[in-house]
Amino acid sequence: MIVEIGHYALVLTFALTLIQSVVPVYGAIKEDERLMAIASPVSMAMFLLVLLSFIALTYAYLASDFSVQNVWENSHSAKPLIYKITGVWGNHEGSLLLWVLILVFFGALVGFFGANLPAPLRAATLGVQGWVTAGFVLFMLATSNPFNRIPNAPMEGNDLNPLLQDIGLAIHPPLLYIGYVGFSITFSFAVAALILGRIDAAWARWVRPWTLLAWCFLTLGISMGSYWAYYELGWGGWWFWDPVENASFMPWLAGTAMLHSAIVMEKRDALKVWTVLLAIFTFSLSLLGTFLVRSGVLTSVHAFAVDPARGVFILVLLCLFIGGSLSLYAWRAPLLKQGGLFAPMSREGALVFNNLFLTAATVAVLVGTLYPLALDAVTGEKISVGPPFFNLTFGPLMIPLLMAVPYGPILAWKRGDLLAATQRLYAAFGLAILFTLVTFWMWGMDRVLAPLGVGLAVWVMAGSIAEIVTRVKVAEIGFGRGFARLKGLPGSAWGTATAHFGIGVTVLGIVTSTAFQDEKVLTMAPGDTVDVSGYALTFDGLAPSRGANYVEDVGHFTVRKGGVVIAELEPSKRLYTARQFPTTEAGIHTLVLSQIYVSLGEPRDNGSIDVRAYYKPLITLIWIGTLFMALGAVFSMADRRLRVGAPKPAARRDRTDGAAPAPAE
Amino acid sequence: MTRKQRRLTIIGGAGAVLAAALALIMVALNDQIVFFQSPTDIAQEAVPHGQRIRLGGLVEAGTIERHENATVYFRVTDTENTVTVTYTGILPDLFREGQGVVTEGVIRPDGVFEADTVLAKHDENYIPVEVAEALKDKGHWQGEAQ
Amino acid sequence: MLWILIAAMTAAAALSILLPLSRRHGAGEGVPKVAADEAVYREQLDEVERDLDRCLIDPPAAEAARTEIARRLLAANERRKSGSGKPGSPIGVRVGKVIAIVALPVFTLGLYMVLGSPGMPDQPLAARLAEPPDGQSVEELVARVERHLAQNPQDGQGWAVIAPVLMRMGDPQGAARAYANAVRLLGPTPERVTDMGEAMTMANDGIISASARAAFEQAVELDPAAVKPRFFLALALGQEGRTEDAIAAWQSLLDGANPDALWVPAALDELAKLGGDMPEFADQLSGPTQEQVEAASNMAPEDQASMIAGMVQGLADRLSSEGGSPDEWIRLMRAYSVLGDSSKGRQAYESAVLAYGDQPADLAKINAAARELGLGES
Repeated sequence: MIVEIGHYALVLTFALTLIQSVVPVYGAIKEDERLMAIASPVSMAMFLLVLLSFIALTYAYLASDFSVQNVWENSHSAKPLIYKITGVWGNHEGSLLLWVLILVFFGALVGFFGANLPAPLRAATLGVQGWVTAGFVLFMLATSNPFNRIPNAPMEGNDLNPLLQDIGLAIHPPLLYIGYVGFSITFSFAVAALILGRIDAAWARWVRPWTLLAWCFLTLGISMGSYWAYYELGWGGWWFWDPVENASFMPWLAGTAMLHSAIVMEKRDALKVWTVLLAIFTFSLSLLGTFLVRSGVLTSVHAFAVDPARGVFILVLLCLFIGGSLSLYAWRAPLLKQGGLFAPMSREGALVFNNLFLTAATVAVLVGTLYPLALDAVTGEKISVGPPFFNLTFGPLMIPLLMAVPYGPILAWKRGDLLAATQRLYAAFGLAILFTLVTFWMWGMDRVLAPLGVGLAVWVMAGSIAEIVTRVKVAEIGFGRGFARLKGLPGSAWGTATAHFGIGVTVLGIVTSTAFQDEKVLTMAPGDTVDVSGYALTFDGLAPSRGANYVEDVGHFTVRKGGVVIAELEPSKRLYTARQFPTTEAGIHTLVLSQIYVSLGEPRDNGSIDVRAYYKPLITLIWIGTLFMALGAVFSMADRRLRVGAPKPAARRDRTDGAAPAPAE
Repeated sequence: MTRKQRRLTIIGGAGAVLAAALALIMVALNDQIVFFQSPTDIAQEAVPHGQRIRLGGLVEAGTIERHENATVYFRVTDTENTVTVTYTGILPDLFREGQGVVTEGVIRPDGVFEADTVLAKHDENYIPVEVAEALKDKGHWQGEAQ
Repeated sequence: MLWILIAAMTAAAALSILLPLSRRHGAGEGVPKVAADEAVYREQLDEVERDLDRCLIDPPAAEAARTEIARRLLAANERRKSGSGKPGSPIGVRVGKVIAIVALPVFTLGLYMVLGSPGMPDQPLAARLAEPPDGQSVEELVARVERHLAQNPQDGQGWAVIAPVLMRMGDPQGAARAYANAVRLLGPTPERVTDMGEAMTMANDGIISASARAAFEQAVELDPAAVKPRFFLALALGQEGRTEDAIAAWQSLLDGANPDALWVPAALDELAKLGGDMPEFADQLSGPTQEQVEAASNMAPEDQASMIAGMVQGLADRLSSEGGSPDEWIRLMRAYSVLGDSSKGRQAYESAVLAYGDQPADLAKINAAARELGLGES
């Protein structure tokens, strides 16, 4: 019965989305207050209903109710509890339900906190959000219903894929989805603005926290996925330019651009039309990402044929949303008033520069991702676009962008002074040069690019610190007063500095771990020792072992430095017995920020084994940097000024209450 | 600067960046993409030595030879022709005899394919799509149901 | 209960539309309308002051910014005064109410009746397993034992009990796993190891894998006189294409065997296929004699199973390579359905239909048998 309640709730949601799609939007155009007023309550009702649906499905998973086809296909009574729960969204149907749940949750937030938004804007936004929800719920009901039942319930479920039984992988999709779906709100705002033919100043203030929130989660999601691939796949790589990764990276790039253009829009009333376009693009790329991953088109354009209904449906949705919103844009955008002139050398100029390069980079990634698919579909020719393509296109675009990062926050609005800005960055520049030279000195001339990369990373990091320091003028007014001012800086300033610092940290990790890593691939017999960047790695032998649902061969390794044991590593080759599924578990030891990484190949008959051992200097910085970026987003969101109409300094105390703008009263 | 000049500077700069990005993409698409080939394509000498390609097929049973220092030799077949492949490194978990495989690398002058990447997807029943299609062309693949 | 909840949910959803529609105009809704814009601009003015305080901008720039913001503030103020929301036409509101009261429930219920299964209760696994065992199907009983074993994987006896059951239920994979666990926990006996090998072979569509072979070899090591493992080893040699060795193995197996033993026909079949010399007693045999069947019923169940499996395999091989009479095909179909392997049975049925598709009388006979065996008509 609980399952059927969940199913009914989903159907009821669909009916509500249809009403939500039409009535408030019509009301907004006709300025009919009562019709507009239904948007908020309906958005909250939809949230409660989808939540009920989701709980019902989760219950079915927990109770191992195999009369539900989705549970039977994707669960197993012997799964550990935690993976029964994560199994809810570990499959196509369930993940769509989660997608929709987040979608209506954000809609409900707009409905709940949006009391201080202009009524037509709120109604139209929720209406557009209703379109998106309607599309996805219909998709579920028509082709991917998680509540389909089986008349004669089997006694056992089908799936125990061990690779999916991993906590990193379990958390990864929800984070990505919050990111993707967060951009749906900015999309809805953008389309609503186009429908109403007007963009209010409140628009930018509303769009920015949503962008920040979505961006924050997307950053964490991508980072987590990358770390998962690094330790679980056993190849030592953390980014493969795989289409699935690109699918999440493109909205991130576009979202980063939007984050910056929204600042210009808010402060200077400029770049309105551009920001609206970015909002449409970003969500379109999120949809494209969902489409690419969900339709099976990535394994092959021909996988479409396996389940044509799903593929075609989602393609039609995609065309409707992207095509529809772009046509609306072409038609309505000229109505939006342009404003705010600025000199090329100004904060606005710097942000435009940022947008230009980020957009170009997004296009490069998009071409690299879609070109093989398009070529295959049109000519049947099979090609692969791998890392070399992206290194050649994406890499060069990032360099000028990173060089410009420290200038952005330091240049003044409207008319900037490049010379004055440079003076404030002298120290950062000096540090960057110093680090470049030190790296040259340590590693010699054989890797020319690497020291420059290190210098660039230091430049970005030092530049973000310089911004904060010079802002409060510590040098002039002394440390004590400077500290007080530091505390008084607005959250957005801290956010900018932290996130930019994080970019530098990530770049540093990428450069050092790529350029200075030491890789040894060899066959080792027990007792053999190999030197990896000054660490002596000894293979002590292979021992079989047994886990709850797998058997494994564990390789025992000892790491010594100067004869002193500093770590023991136990990489293993696992075989999950139920499905005869082999996996590789890497052995990783973290030394402050660097890591030693060992993974195993096939054992030989004589007791020796193929080993791949790496020393990856400073590699953890890659992920630590992303944490800084996410933290920067949190600081920015906490900025009181983002909360529209929030009363003046008296309210300063509730600075920490997070993403959602507070109501007016 | 006048209004017009400013606008021109910004538009000109934007145009230059986009043109540069486009040029990069075009160059990269010419040089950096890798074509998928079957052993038959290679046997017909359709592939110049030294060009990076992806080679796909089935790992012929009984041809896996393990040499010192994690180097492995095996033969990839599309049931008509075979190519000897050498690879140094850790093979993927699901690399097995008779299974589909995709390798990426270059053909050495002696005709041996030197791979630097070997892919076998994380799914036990997986035959890489390219391989499946190449085999289908040869009439040796019986479809998903098998 | 379900319908009450469904009604409640529908009513709540309808209320979320009806309530705002019936609210009086101007009840606190339209007030902030454009005021939000003004708040933003006021805040921006404050910020300019703060920046000026901190010397982040110079006074002329601050002045310029102030003018600009003030201009926008005035414009926003102007906008607010000029336009304000209309109460809305009564027709629109009425249509909205009709939608909420009529269209919403009708549409939702209609769609749900198409998609949902309102009559189907939840079937949580725990509850299903807790039902009294009497009424339960074999499948449910097996699930119960498997659950027990999942929690007590060290129960060797349990594995030993369930293994042959799984085998008979047509789950050789599960049987192989169960046998392997039994061997691990209770130690290898010739029978157990042989059965494990057999299950592995069945799971592998009759191909004897290296690990299955190892199992049979172990069994022979433990009991050199055991027939069954040697039978399979001979089969393995044949599969590997080592014809000479296979013939030798079959001959040594048949040499001195009781010609009435149940596996003998299958072995002879194999031998004949390989082209080896037949032992003398071969001519006298065509199928199991009455005695053989009786002997079979006195055998241990495992031996019976293997005997039957061997015979069926032999028959299937012969029919597929040389063809046979309709009665023989029916025998094969019956054998498979008795063994619980309905998919193979259906295959045999299909092959038989192919072979006799042009002879209506035989075809009718085959079809009748298939119906009787529950293999369906194609």
